[in-house]
Amino acid sequence: MTPWMASGLVYASGLALTAGSITLLFIVTRTFNFAVASMATFGFYVAYTGVALYGGLPYQYYPLVFLFGSFLGIVCYFGLNRHLLRRQAAEITLMMSTLGYDLLLLSFIQMYADYLTHSYGLFPRRVTLNTHDFELFGERAAAIILPVIAIGLLTLLHQFMTKTRFGVAMRATIENPVLAGASGINSDRVYMVSWIIAGGMATLGGAFMAMAMTGTPTMGMFTIPLMFAGAILGGLTSLYGGILGGFMIGMTEYAGVFYLSQQLGPWVLGYRMAIPLILMAATLLLFPRGLAGIPLGKIIEKRFGRKRGESA
Amino acid sequence: MTTDNKSYSNLGLKDFFLKREVMVIIVILALLTFLFASRGVNIILTIFIDFAVFAIITMSLNLETGYTGVPQFGRVAAVIIGAFAVGAIPGRIMAMFMGLPYGVEYASDTVNFRLVPEINQVLAGSWLISLGFLIFSLFIAAICGAAIGWLISRPAIRLKEGYLGISLLAFGDFFMWVGHNWNAMVGGSVPVSVPDPFRIFAGSRFMVIVLVIFVIAFLVFTYLQKLHRSPFGRSLRMIRDNDLSAGAAGKNIVSVRTQSLVIGAALAAVGGGLYVLYVGSAASIGFTKLTFTFWPWAFMMLGGIGSNIGVLLGVFVLVILRTMIVIFRSQWFGFLLQIGIDPLWLEFTLMGAVIIIVILFMPHGLVPEKVEPMLPKSRVRAVMERRRLAKEQGNQS
Repeated sequence: MTPWMASGLVYASGLALTAGSITLLFIVTRTFNFAVASMATFGFYVAYTGVALYGGLPYQYYPLVFLFGSFLGIVCYFGLNRHLLRRQAAEITLMMSTLGYDLLLLSFIQMYADYLTHSYGLFPRRVTLNTHDFELFGERAAAIILPVIAIGLLTLLHQFMTKTRFGVAMRATIENPVLAGASGINSDRVYMVSWIIAGGMATLGGAFMAMAMTGTPTMGMFTIPLMFAGAILGGLTSLYGGILGGFMIGMTEYAGVFYLSQQLGPWVLGYRMAIPLILMAATLLLFPRGLAGIPLGKIIEKRFGRKRGESA
Repeated sequence: MTTDNKSYSNLGLKDFFLKREVMVIIVILALLTFLFASRGVNIILTIFIDFAVFAIITMSLNLETGYTGVPQFGRVAAVIIGAFAVGAIPGRIMAMFMGLPYGVEYASDTVNFRLVPEINQVLAGSWLISLGFLIFSLFIAAICGAAIGWLISRPAIRLKEGYLGISLLAFGDFFMWVGHNWNAMVGGSVPVSVPDPFRIFAGSRFMVIVLVIFVIAFLVFTYLQKLHRSPFGRSLRMIRDNDLSAGAAGKNIVSVRTQSLVIGAALAAVGGGLYVLYVGSAASIGFTKLTFTFWPWAFMMLGGIGSNIGVLLGVFVLVILRTMIVIFRSQWFGFLLQIGIDPLWLEFTLMGAVIIIVILFMPHGLVPEKVEPMLPKSRVRAVMERRRLAKEQGNQS
């Protein structure tokens, strides 16, 4: 594996989780969750605090990261989102409310970073977590472990959504909230569980991304456009689409920057953000409903249908 | 006086003071007096400048979000373009006329720091050139802002609510990185200085800047009020409230929304240009979405989405509170400093708390949008009078 591919895989796994988190919340509660930005940063800081204060590998703190994210999600749900959902607020209001929550979290992150500097003499404002990585089969462990964790989490989620009673209830609520409510499904609990899962995914994604990039208090703020780009690319209609979209955005960014900087020179590095944005804009222009909105079945039918018709 | 007459007469003094606008204005005046008494006149002028710049930007946001219903989460893009336009173009033109280097080398830090003082000397020598420079700067900012507003709206405009907001957000960040990395435009990480058209006023420069920005903010306000009442403003609100029925009534939704985005972007770019002229350098890294997208959103939500007066009051209240956090950080928040926390972060806490509190408890803001009649009251009265007269004449004949 070349170095760009290794970091690309790590980064793309992180983006896939955050984009998946955004998509999950959107399809369940119609909320575009801005707070993913600061939740992701918090995920990185939980892992960093563990490594810096108690030693060990970043990976062993991931369960804690997930739990912390779930906590942030629950706080947002009970403090904010629940009231607005009951009021049947507009999409924009829901979006703005999570922006407010995000800014609150951002200020707490900054204060926490100050506190770490003051009380423990750490340097939490520029962190490269991948120095704590180890080698596995001659590669950086993160490039193997993180995609595996991401895929494992996705499989688990898939099993949960298809095999358990509650998962089926969740899918029913996504499909038709009114009908699901009428058949006795407690939508309140469905929303809560989706915030728990989405919060955990967002923080875990942030902890992943910190293995490929420099961790700063504004890390999430700077990458949130890309997380949303991934979610939009996925079409915001299916969880798998969102995860695929995030992964594609991450990989395209790394591959594009690597290829273009070889062709055109290192100045391309500064404009790396343009690559995923152009990808997103192109997708929006061609398929306003994202990847999931591409009528694959129709295209295939049209192409091959005609051919069959001609030959017949 | 009959009871009938009383309901039409002017509001009593008590009602006047209970009106929300008036209450907010009284609070603002009290805070200003307090700051003036404790810190002197300079802090008041700083607040006024911040207020006027952000008032322009927030009113442009209000045009797009409040009137048209486009969730503009990329306000910073247009502001940045205005800033870059003022940083890059008028100075170069001056340099060209003066026979100084004006190409790529204008933005390099070793050349720029010698060029700008020379240009400043010329500007300080003639008020005509200064005035021309100022007007041209704002004009070019508006043109560039409008162009970028149109360009950004292309892939995004057909989308629905949330999709639209998020695509705009994604484009907003992009320009900051362009400005930061493209050294040939405004110097990138070592920003260019901007020639100062207010140099001619020497000692009272600060006062004049406040006055100029205030006048421009007032012009923007009047323009938007006019636009609000115009047929175009009515079709904007029609599309916001129900785009389906607006489409059925023959409005071209995409074109009207695009026009609104272009006007809004031009106004925001003027705000950004003024800010750069005031600060004196075009540092692209300072134009983050926190300051120039999320703050204006907080201002607008506090003031009341869709109401321009409310927006102005919202900007004023929050700008004062923000300045107070900066000024009194060691006096009021000493307990935070003791554990090493910089109280400046409270700015974000304030911003987040304001957004959340407004959404939960005051969804329409300080001064909610009012339903306005299509014609001003006097004209409605005149029309009614004419009809009555016509009727009487008809009866007589």
